[in-house]
Amino acid sequence: MAEYLVEGPIDNELMTRLLAPPAGNFDAGATSVFIGRVRADENGGKKVVAIEYSAYDEMVNSEATKIIDQILAGFNNVKSISLIHSRGRVGAGEISLFVMVSAGHRRQAIEACSEAVELIKARLPVWKNEVYDDNSHEWKQNLPL
Amino acid sequence: MEVKVLFFGVLADVAGTSVRHYGDVGSTDRLMIRIQDDFPEFIHYNFRTSVNREIVNGDVLLNDGDEVAFMPPFAGG
Repeated sequence: MAEYLVEGPIDNELMTRLLAPPAGNFDAGATSVFIGRVRADENGGKKVVAIEYSAYDEMVNSEATKIIDQILAGFNNVKSISLIHSRGRVGAGEISLFVMVSAGHRRQAIEACSEAVELIKARLPVWKNEVYDDNSHEWKQNLPL
Repeated sequence: MEVKVLFFGVLADVAGTSVRHYGDVGSTDRLMIRIQDDFPEFIHYNFRTSVNREIVNGDVLLNDGDEVAFMPPFAGG
């Protein structure tokens, strides 16, 4: 399992742990968080009940590290970035992506978090198979903004 | 020489497996010819290719032990 992946949904315990500031390090005055949830979409009269995520684990590791390095290089006020994505089954309403950026001030925290999410969508080798209420499934692609 | 080939997303369904090994393929183009022989439906899908976890474009020479992945458009988030 890559260090940026968790099996199944991202739970409150993990997010609470990630939200805690590093011990003795209080130079980040602003933290921006993005949480992605599985939507209960309807597709041709069928309702999404879950997404089965699959990933190229080793490449997720290398690409996530590159994304974090790119954000840190592009935003000189950013202090830390956390990135967690689910693999395996995540039910509708459950959390599959958690991105957190801490910076000295709010503007870079918000902008860097937004850019990190876009880079994750574009570059992280993860695929989703939507599971419907009739037990059928379909591979889906990300749509542009 | 032998390379490890990984299939992801819908391509794993097309191939009926997520991993295969191919011998005597000197480049990604030659590997693709072998794969299309094995799975003619491959031509109907968009995908990117990586060699040793780096995206590649065009024909790339392959060495013994390389890991090649065929990846449909990413869908994280």
